Formats: sequence, structure tokens, C-alpha cells
Amino acid sequence: MMYVLRRIGFFLLTLWAAVTLNFLLPRMMPGSPTDAAIAKLAQNGPVTDATRKAIEAQLGVPDGNIFEQYLGYLHQVITLDFGVSYTFYPQSVSEMVWQAFPYTVILVGFVTIIAFVLGTLIGVLTAWKRNTWLDALPTLTGSFASTFPYFWTALLLLFFLGYVLHLFPTSGAFGPTATPALTWDFFTDVLYHAALPALTILITSLGGWIIGMRNAMINTLGDDYVTFAEANGLKGRTVAIRYAARNAILPNLTGFGLALGGVVGGSVLVEQVFGYPGIGYLLFNAVIGQDYPLMQALFLMITVSVLIANFLVDIMYGVLDPRTRR
Amino acid sequence: MNPILEVKNLSVVYESSGFNALQAVDHVSFALEAGEFVGLVGESGSGKSTLGLAITRLQKPPARTNGGQIFFRGKDIRELDAETLRQQRQGGFAMVLQSGMNALNPVRTIRNHFIDIFRAHGHVGKSGWDARQIELMEKVGLPKETLARFPGELSGGMRQRVSIALALSLEPQLMVFDEPTTALDVLVQQAIMDTIKSLQKSEGFTAVLISHDLGVVLESTQRVLVMHEGRIVEDAPSRDILENPQDEYTRMLLSHYADPRAEVVELPGFPDRAGRDTGGAARTAGATARDGRSSDSAIVVDHVSKVYPPPRRGEQAVTAVDDVSFTLEPGQSLALVGASGSGKSTIAKLITGIEKPTAGTVEFGRLDVAQLGRRQIRELHKNVQMIFQDPYSALNPLHTVEYTLTRPVVNFGGLRGPAARKRVLELLETVGLAPVEQFAAKLPHQLSGGQRQRVVIARALASNPQVLIADEPVSMLDVSLRAGVLALLEDLRAQWGVSMLYITHDLLSARLVTENIMVLNGGRVVERGNTAQVLQHPEDEYTIRLLDAVPNPARARGAAV
Amino acid sequence: MTTTQNLTSATEAAIKPPRRFAFITRSAATLWANWKSRLGLIILACFILVAIFAPLLAPYGASQDGFERNADASPEHWFGTTAAGEDVLSQLIYGSQISVAVGFIAGLLSTIVAMVIGLSWGYIRGFGADVINFIVNLFLVIPGLPLMIVIAAYLQNGGLVMIVAVIVITGWAWGARVLRAQTQTLRSRDFVTAARFSGEPAWRIVFKEILPNMTSIIAGGFFGAATSAILAEAGLEFLGLGDSSIVSWGTILYWAQNSNALLTGQWILLFAPGLCIALLALSLTLINFGVDAISNPRLREGKSR
Repeated sequence: MMYVLRRIGFFLLTLWAAVTLNFLLPRMMPGSPTDAAIAKLAQNGPVTDATRKAIEAQLGVPDGNIFEQYLGYLHQVITLDFGVSYTFYPQSVSEMVWQAFPYTVILVGFVTIIAFVLGTLIGVLTAWKRNTWLDALPTLTGSFASTFPYFWTALLLLFFLGYVLHLFPTSGAFGPTATPALTWDFFTDVLYHAALPALTILITSLGGWIIGMRNAMINTLGDDYVTFAEANGLKGRTVAIRYAARNAILPNLTGFGLALGGVVGGSVLVEQVFGYPGIGYLLFNAVIGQDYPLMQALFLMITVSVLIANFLVDIMYGVLDPRTRR
Repeated sequence: MNPILEVKNLSVVYESSGFNALQAVDHVSFALEAGEFVGLVGESGSGKSTLGLAITRLQKPPARTNGGQIFFRGKDIRELDAETLRQQRQGGFAMVLQSGMNALNPVRTIRNHFIDIFRAHGHVGKSGWDARQIELMEKVGLPKETLARFPGELSGGMRQRVSIALALSLEPQLMVFDEPTTALDVLVQQAIMDTIKSLQKSEGFTAVLISHDLGVVLESTQRVLVMHEGRIVEDAPSRDILENPQDEYTRMLLSHYADPRAEVVELPGFPDRAGRDTGGAARTAGATARDGRSSDSAIVVDHVSKVYPPPRRGEQAVTAVDDVSFTLEPGQSLALVGASGSGKSTIAKLITGIEKPTAGTVEFGRLDVAQLGRRQIRELHKNVQMIFQDPYSALNPLHTVEYTLTRPVVNFGGLRGPAARKRVLELLETVGLAPVEQFAAKLPHQLSGGQRQRVVIARALASNPQVLIADEPVSMLDVSLRAGVLALLEDLRAQWGVSMLYITHDLLSARLVTENIMVLNGGRVVERGNTAQVLQHPEDEYTIRLLDAVPNPARARGAAV
Repeated sequence: MTTTQNLTSATEAAIKPPRRFAFITRSAATLWANWKSRLGLIILACFILVAIFAPLLAPYGASQDGFERNADASPEHWFGTTAAGEDVLSQLIYGSQISVAVGFIAGLLSTIVAMVIGLSWGYIRGFGADVINFIVNLFLVIPGLPLMIVIAAYLQNGGLVMIVAVIVITGWAWGARVLRAQTQTLRSRDFVTAARFSGEPAWRIVFKEILPNMTSIIAGGFFGAATSAILAEAGLEFLGLGDSSIVSWGTILYWAQNSNALLTGQWILLFAPGLCIALLALSLTLINFGVDAISNPRLREGKSR
């Protein structure tokens, strides 16, 4: 129980820190993002006082009272009101974020969990069959694939499977003729479009999980309780899974939580290449269009999601390790 | 009667790339009759653990058997395929590991450990699991509630008992105990050895007890194999080993045991204290050896307590030291004796300023140790030095002996360049590491345990201290090396007139090197006085229990009938 | 256990160069003996040599244009030309300079930051340690690349210096965590206490006693940081958030995508720069296999269990 409370405390504290970082970021930058943003917005028509206030709360006023701005900003965050986008004027930022959010969560979340589970299983196998081809092959291909830049894997898959072989669509989350609805056809169409981005993330992230689990398990295989389990004549599979792997999963799980941020970052690049309308694609467009309100909101969204995922991983760790229960 | 285990010409080699192959076990042959309790004794590096792993087929690379046979019930276990071997572990041979504390899976309850074994062999019907588990726990003296616990919730001794119960659940005919009590506390060690002895009698399995401690082995076994440099140098009934040892190595090992309660206690290189000049004369001689040192100060520990905050919320605070007072006069040697957790090491930390007392004061001369600033701590350390327990951890593996010794010489002696080097070589000479030039250039891994401990002592002497705090300085060393280091400490104390606080659980060594003794239990002093007197006529029950726990081959005379 | 320990120390004692840097030579030998890290060292050496001798090796200048646009491979242009009429091979060769330099500098800087923070964090106790703990954990969970993208967006083409700075800011936390754990382990060793008894000041204990015992972990951290720096730099350049006028592997891909190399079918233009990035990153990963084996003996190559 103590453990869960501590994790909740840490989660709330990091949440606050991330929100505050998001507040400080534009204010620490040289130049004035606010002026740039208002100038940008002025191209779309006259800027009302209310809009100006909102932007100032978000990006800062050069001579303003930082404390008041902070309160205003917190108010914005709590009410999830991030103003309007410049590039997609006059759509509200929140609306855009919510539209893009499900695509990324489903794509990245789902694929990451698959990659982690798969990588962990392969890692167990490689460590158990250490120094055989069952070890060497996954370890080497895995570590090679994990050094591929995300966007490069994406480009290659897109080029060969999309443009040359025409096996998969080359952009978007669903076909131009499909209409978003809860139908089987739409569902398969979305899966079909998600296949290449998903494959990219799988290929590039799988190796890391394999190596992580392999190293963790090689360590536990050297532990005394494994030797003792063998001395007691337990079956090979019991020793491998209930003793060695069961303990090796703990450090690997911590690694999973910490590597999540990297996977999410990589997916920004992947979405960009595939024109996949998720958070990352939106972030890229916000950056190119200097759409600061959208960018701020997206960054906050990404950070908070990763924090929540990490929190869940921590809780899971607590469930898996009896030592945290004391 | 056919032997249950017969080892013929067995050799085990360690082969790892980049190093020379090492023959750890060298053409060893012996046989065990069913029901025998046999000891396998040797010092570190003798190959005894390697042999233990080989006869239970648990050895792992880089170890490899390179010759010989191991017959268990007439079959060579080296030929067994993996599955037959696995099945063989039930009703065949079992092993209790050296580090039994880590032998349990931290994420499984004790009950699940048993169930894993029952499932693997199917020798206990599912309906009988509960009863069998409880029965086994009773046999090793644990309450059945322990079954629901995770290993992390148990003490080291309890975990070792669980290991024994698990091995026992296999109903083995042969049990190998590899240093089953080494990492445990003295009193716990004795209790666990008693359990093993009575189990062996009641269950009737053949047992091999691997240990570095000839005393422990002679007390419990009927026959002893003495191992030295990969070979068995002596194989004889325990009684013969004790009364009529044939091999020189066995004789040497035996010579390092004595009863701390005896009238006269002598070890090789260590005549009885009574015959030695330990009083004022030594101190005067010492005074001349230490010119340039201002008047000596006593360490005065006055009603000191140390309470640590509770390890976890909701638990009790830990009182490590409870109202302890004593004075360590210049030139005196005082033993601080107790089992682990008795607070003896905490007292060392309080005296050296590493920890601050919760109540009471520690004074060294005009310094109040608890109130010292950084600079004064330095002054304290110039005069109060420490000798550490583990010579493998007390030296930085990357620094040469010369570097290690130069630092205090520079920091405290203010010497530089050739003068500092000269002093370093003198120190090496003092602790008997000659040729000094060669030893100065060595790295710790090129030294043996005993040599390392001499370097640690030399470093402690470098600042020309008034007080040495020796925290179990020989407990990590092989028995045969202990006397040498102890004799060195004793000589230095006499020559240099240093006072020494000797912290130990080993009453024999306390008898050898100290004048006075304090026995600690649960942070309190339960008995104090002249060392020889206290040990010969102990009054407190705790002191008596500690004395009873000292392994003593001589006492085995009665047991080995 | 004791047996094996004593055996190794016995054999080590038999090889007897009582040299101060024997440890380093030994580590290098261990690295070289591991075929994975040997392969990594060889690949890395090739890239470094190419980067140093780029002007000698490249057939044309890095931004020398005026050749036929979007040309396929030919004897004049082995890898073809770009949409702006530049020689792809020459760009690849010059591009290695950026990746090697960024990897080295950003890796080095984040390792230094990690070292300073990790060591002091492992050495101090109390409230200060809790604060650092929180900050490090915060930097660990905040997704690095999005943060880089946001910072880069505000700084508007700050060029390589900006990229390196951003990589260092977002990349030090992992190393700090590992080094802190190791510092705490070493700190509890008796030789550290003994150094205090030898009158050593705190800075000397940290730098002379603790730090040298973590060489392999620091090296591992450096190679790891350099790998992610190389990948992050390429990613930012690819998004057009760096200085797109310089010639690096990331910008080649950026221009290739912008000029629709996907549609024109110039696969070499897509394939080669990415492969270079992957190979360079792979070489560092391979070296780390060997480094890991030095700091963790259980990972050493051995016969099967």
C-alpha cells in the first residue's frame, strides 16, 4: 500500500512538473514567441483582445507578472482550453488534439505492448538457449534493427511495400472512400492503413526489448535460486519461466517504462513519413507552421500520456514484486 | 556393503579464455557408505566446493570434469542424460548451497517452492502436499506460518532452514551441505548445525558437510576428508584426524584450534599471553618508538546510546547501542565481543565519528567526537585508525600498494616525494611484506588475503595513530593465516604502544590479543573484565552460549565415539 | 564461488605486469577478444577515417551542384545525383563528418553531465539527494524527441550547436541514474571509508577512488549516449528542424523526401544515408556488447549453460 501511495505521489509531482515545464518552455526561449504567434494570427484577420489574452497566458508576456500568468495557464490546463490553432484557424486546439489522439494511442500503445511482450518472450528464449543459433540470430538481427532510425525504416517500408509493390496504402489512416463509422469495413480499412506504421515501430523497437530481457535473464540465470532450483530437479521450463524469467521481467519492466518516451518520440517521425493523422503528425505540422498553441498542447498531451503509462507500469511492478508490498 | 557414492580419479578443470586452465580437483578418489556423515575440509581455493558441485552434477562452465568417474548407486552420473539426471534428484542426491540465503526465489512464497518440487517429481500426492509441507517445516524447526511468507521476509537463518527443508522434501539418499552456515551469525550457525546433525540421524541420509572450518566438521562428522590444492591429503575417521593426524597439512590446520576457556591458550607463533610481557614494559618500549607524538589520550565512551529510525514506516526504532560506557586507556587492548546485531560495529562507527550517538558522549582527549567539524574529524582520524574486516573490499583494486600507503603518509605526515616513499617502504617492512620494493608496486589482486590484510594494517599505521580499531580483522581469512595477522597486530601494539579496540565474534582470537573484554548483547554490555578471567569463568548466560558455539575439535572427542 | 574467485586471482597474479594502466590494457584486450565489439570497433574506425579524410575520398565537393538532376547510378556518380544536382556519394562521405562529430560531442557532453550529477547524487544524502532523484526521474520519463522538437521549433534553425545542446539536455538522465547506482555500491565498499581514514578530501575520494572503478560503465554510457545522439540528430534534421543547408545524412533524407524520391524511385538516395546511420549506430551498440561484458562478468561469452 505504501508503495502505491508513493507512486501516486510521484506521479502527481511529475505531472505538476511537466505542466510547469510546458509553461516555462516558451518563456525561457530567446525572442518572443508571443509576438511571433500574434503576428502569425494577424494574417488570418484581426486579433481580438480575448484571443490576445489567451495567447499571452500560454506563451508569456515579456513584462507581465509571471505568477498571474501561471495561474491563468493552470486554469487553461484544467479546463482543457488551449485556444485556437493558427494553421487550422479557427479550429480549437483541444478539438484537434482529441481528434488525433485515438490514432496515436491505438497505434503506438498497441504496437508497443505487442513489441514488448514479443521481445520479452524472444529474450527469454535467447537467454535460455544462450550461445546457440537461437540466441545469436535474434540477438544480432534485433540489435541491428534497433539501430535503424525510425524514419528510415518507415521510408524503406513505404517505398518498397507501398510504392514499388503496392501492397499497402502510402498515406493516411483510412482510404479516401471510407467513411468513419463502426463498421467492419471501416475497421479493416483502418487496420490496413495502420499496418506499415505499426510494422515500422515493431521492427525498430523489438530489438531493444530482446536485448534488455536477454541481459536481465542471463543475470538471473546466474543467481543462486536458479542453481538451487536445478539442484532440486525442477523441470527446465519451470526453472526458465518461474524462476529466471519471472525475476528478470522486473528490471525489464522498469526499462520498458523508461523507454516508452523514446518510442513515442519515434512515432512522431513515423507518423510524419506515413502522413498518419495522429499526435506526432499534428505536432510536426504545428512546428512547421509555428503553431505554438497547438504545439504546446500536443507536447503536454504526449508528456502526460507517457507519465500515465509509466504510472501504470509502476503499479504493475508493484503487483509483480512482493518486496514492494511491505 | 556397496558404497552409495564412489568417486574414482575425478579431475575438474576451470577453463576460461585468456586465463591458464586451472586444475581445481586433481585425481580425487573416495567412497561413501550409506548413512555415513562425512566432512570435506579445506581452505579457500582447495577445490572442495568444486568437488561438491561435481558430485551433484551442478557444476557450470568454465568448470569441466576432465577425467574420472562418479558412481552413485553403481551408475556413473556423468553419463546420465538431462532428464534422467533431473529425475535422479528425487530420492537421489540433493544439495544445500553455500549461499542458502540467496537460494530462494524472491518472488515465490515458501509454499510455492515446495509445490514446485512436488510437481516436478510427483512423489507426493496432491492431497498430501499440505501435511508434508508442515511436517518438513517442523523438522527444520520453523512454524508452519512461514509457508505463506516470501523469502525477503525471513532472516538469513530461517532461509537456510527453508533450503534444508526443500532439499529434504526430495527424500534424498545423499545430501551435500556446502558451507551451510558460513554467512550466518555464530549462535545461528550452531543452531543450524545442530538441526543438520539431528536430521541426519533421524532421516538416515548419507551426508557430506563441506566446510573451511575443521572444528565444525570434527564436531559433527564421523569421517573427514581433508582437501588441499585439489587433492585429498587425508581421509580418516574424525577421531583419528583429531588424535593422530597423518598429513602435515592436517596437523597444521589442527594446530590453529584451541579452547578459549583453557588455562593456557597457545597457537603457532603465539605463546600463551600469561608468559608474555604485556604490561608496562611494552608501553615504555612503545613510547620510545613513537617520538614526536604528544601525550596519549584515552577514548572515553560515556553512557552512549544509538537508536536508528525504524527501517520501514510503522515498525519499531532499532536500538543498536544501549547505554554503553567504557574507557580505552592508552596502550590498552580491549575486546568488544558479541554476535552480529549486538551493536559492536556501531560502537566502532560512533568512536570514529562516522555515526553520531543519540545520547551520551564519546571523547577522545579534548575532542568530543559527536561535535567534530570536517577538519577535526581529520585530526581524529590521524590518531584513531581503523582496520577493516574484508581485505578484498578494503583496498581499491585499481591502486598499487604504494599509492594506497602514500595517501595517509602525505595527508597526515606531510611528507612528499622520496621521504614519503621511504616511509611507505618502512611501513611495508613493519608489517612483514618483504621485499618491500616489489610489494609496493603490486596491485591488490596480486596479493593473497593475508598479504592484503597486512597492507590494510600498514595503512592504518601510516598516520602513527594512538588507537587502532580492528573490526573482525581476521574473520575473512583462512584459519592458517589468522594467527600470523593476529601476531602482527599484537607485536605492533606492544612495539608502538598503540591501544586497540578489537571487535570480534571470535572468542579465541579475543583471548589471544586482548587484556580486557566486554561482551555485548542487544546493544548492552552484559559482562566485562579481564579477558582470560571472563572466558575461563563466564558469568552471564549469553557469554556462556557464545563460548559453547566456538567450534572446538577437542570437544569432538566426546562426540565422535 | 570462493573457489572461482580465488582461481581467477591466482591466475591473474601469475600474469604479472604491475603497471598502473594494466587495467586499461586488459579492458582493451577484453574488448578486442569479443568478436562483436571487435567488429564494432572496425566499423567505427572506418567511419572515423572516412570523416577525417572526406576531402580526399569524395569525388566532388559536398554541395557542388550543376550535375544532371535526379540521375541514376553511373560511372561518374556511383550513387546517382540529388534533385539539386549534387553527387550523392560525395554527400554521404561528407555527411559522415556531421554524424561522427555530433555523436562524439553530444555523447561526451551528456556523459560529463551524467557523471557530475550521478556521482554527486550517489555521494550526497538527505534532502538534496531526494531533489536530484526527482529531477532525474522527471527527465527520464519526459519524452526526449518531442521535447527536442518543441525546443528546436522555438529556436528556429539554431543549427548544430542547438541540436547538440538539446540532445545533451534531454539525454543525460539515464547515464546519471546508472552512475548513481554504481556510486552507491562503491561508496559502501570499505576502501572508500578507508580513504576517509587516510585523510582524503571528498573530491579526491570521488575522482580517485570511486570514478576509476566505473570506467567501463562510463564508457558504456558514452557509447549509448552517442548512439542516441546520432539517431536524434538525424531525426531532427530529417524533420527539417536543424540547419537544412548543411550536408548531413539527416538532411540528405530530408531533401530526398521533399523532392519526392519515393515517387521518382531513387531508392539509393533513401537507402544509403539511413544505412550509414544504422551502421554507425550499430558499431557503437556492438562495442557496448563488449563493454557490458567487462562491467558484468555474467554477460561474458562462455560455453552454453
